[in-house]
Amino acid sequence: MNARAQLVMLWENGAMSFRSILSNKVRAFLTALGVMIGVASVIGLTALGHGASLSVERRLSTLGANLLIVYSGEPRGTSLVRQRTTNIAPMLTADDLAFINSLPSDLVVRTAPESSRNGQLKFENRNTVATVIGTDPDYPAIRNFQPMYGAFFSQLDMESRRNVAAIGVQTYRELFPDGRDPLGETIRINGLPFRVIAIMEEKGSPAQDASVFIPFTTYRRSLSGSDNYAIINIQAASTDVMYELQETIENELLRLRRVPSMEWANFYIANQMDLIGTVTGVADTFTLLLAGIAAISLLVGGIGIMNIMLVSVTERTREIGVRMALGAKGRHVMTQFLTEAVILSAGGGLIGVGLGYLFSWGAQRFGRLASVVTPDSVLIAFSFAVVIGLFFGGYPAYRASRLDPIEALRYE
Amino acid sequence: MISISDVRKHYQMGPTVVHALDGVSLQIEAAEFIAIIGPSGSGKSTLMNIIGCLDSPDSGSYELAGEEVGELLPDELAEVRNLHVGFVFQTFNLLPRATAIENVELPLIYRGVGARRRRAAAEQMLERVGLADRMTHLPTELSGGQRQRVAIARALVGRPSMILADEPTGALDTRTGEEIMALFEELNRDGVTLILVTHDQALAAHAGRMVRLLDGLIVETRAGVAV
Repeated sequence: MNARAQLVMLWENGAMSFRSILSNKVRAFLTALGVMIGVASVIGLTALGHGASLSVERRLSTLGANLLIVYSGEPRGTSLVRQRTTNIAPMLTADDLAFINSLPSDLVVRTAPESSRNGQLKFENRNTVATVIGTDPDYPAIRNFQPMYGAFFSQLDMESRRNVAAIGVQTYRELFPDGRDPLGETIRINGLPFRVIAIMEEKGSPAQDASVFIPFTTYRRSLSGSDNYAIINIQAASTDVMYELQETIENELLRLRRVPSMEWANFYIANQMDLIGTVTGVADTFTLLLAGIAAISLLVGGIGIMNIMLVSVTERTREIGVRMALGAKGRHVMTQFLTEAVILSAGGGLIGVGLGYLFSWGAQRFGRLASVVTPDSVLIAFSFAVVIGLFFGGYPAYRASRLDPIEALRYE
Repeated sequence: MISISDVRKHYQMGPTVVHALDGVSLQIEAAEFIAIIGPSGSGKSTLMNIIGCLDSPDSGSYELAGEEVGELLPDELAEVRNLHVGFVFQTFNLLPRATAIENVELPLIYRGVGARRRRAAAEQMLERVGLADRMTHLPTELSGGQRQRVAIARALVGRPSMILADEPTGALDTRTGEEIMALFEELNRDGVTLILVTHDQALAAHAGRMVRLLDGLIVETRAGVAV
């Protein structure tokens, strides 16, 4: 046959398949249902997994950019950043901090040491407990935790060991339930007077919102008496140098402590990269798992198509015989049934894509779940559906093409 | 135009071998109207299948329009059927979900003819069999006689070398059957080669020549009454 005749055949096959599918809409729908659900679940579940991963990443990035945190004490597994840093014996020394600050600016941008403990806060007749954190003016920049009202304490406050406090939003609400402007008011922390200079932005976690920030110098003099730090926050120059920086600091701190390895160290370093990697790694594994389960349902959908196509071939044995008598060759019959299977699976896939988007939208709207449809999942699920149509439609189509025209014509 | 010589075909039926055709020779000229008759089991269906290129003989030769078709592969046979044979069946065998004109177009689809030329040819044939006003009807919306006319139009549309009609009036009442036979005779007068397979002697009398088959052999050949 020439190319034009091939084209005629292809077109007619498509038209015939459509007519045959439309002639039994309920069955076509039920046949394609498996693929629909399969494609929808691949897309929907991947969207959920991806959404979860994204929201974790977003939440982690609110901790600050390129963050490296040196903690006092034993490492605690793959610790998430400990928000409440009280009760850590401060074992990081001024020498440690001096070393880190001496590193070139293409490694370290800025540092902020901190120590903290629980404190009793009082304003007029209101009492509350909060984490009192002594730190450095660079803290807000490093931890991405800015005052929403007023200004954080300055280098001058630090040097002058002023009794100034930037209070967390929850602490503000506890102490100033009437909602008054707290700037300039004097609160008492463990009995000592502090002037309120800022309200910190809301972070949504009690650990951060029920806190009070004061200059480290003041903290040392008034609350702890120790020169050491519990934590040193470090902002690295870029994500690329974070592991290098971590190693440099570890080596130097080990050397300063005359300790052979991290196993014996009284400090450890949490790397934001690890954190993001671990959490998104878990989310990605989860996504893969969901997609795997969904893919199985897609496969089952394919078997459904094969099942119905086999029935359809049997039912239409006589039609096949007539077509053969009129001059249809094996491959004509084969392509006709293959086209039908692919139209069913591709149609089901298309509807499945729509359902997947709908599912994702619904999860977000009504389930309040982060859900982001990835174009990859749409593409993969849809192509997989088409391939499944070809694969599972292949056997029934082959059977149809191998029928003996005489037998087929005689079939009742 | 059709030259069959010493064609044999046998089937294994359990332990016994059935000689459906046991050395049949037959010449059919262009524009002839020939009837093949015989009781069931006489081998007439097998002969019809071989003439219609649905089946191949075990031995012997079958020349159709100057070409040996006895040993062709299934796909090649399909092409010969498409070009040279127009089938008319007892039960019409129209595609139930296709309209009259779509049914008639079918052989041309497998020949790769474009939609416009196909439609024109199908319309012409439906007019020829007197169904100009029924072209877009589904088979279920047509009477038995009309259905058989659609089937005849479908057999004719590819301008085949022969029309092979297998008990074409078997599912019709007597009067409609006569109308269909009249149509066949008319087509034959216009030069269409007609091979009628039937067990009905009276029907065979319409043909110009009659061949009687029994136990796989031609036992009688005689000129018919009609034509």
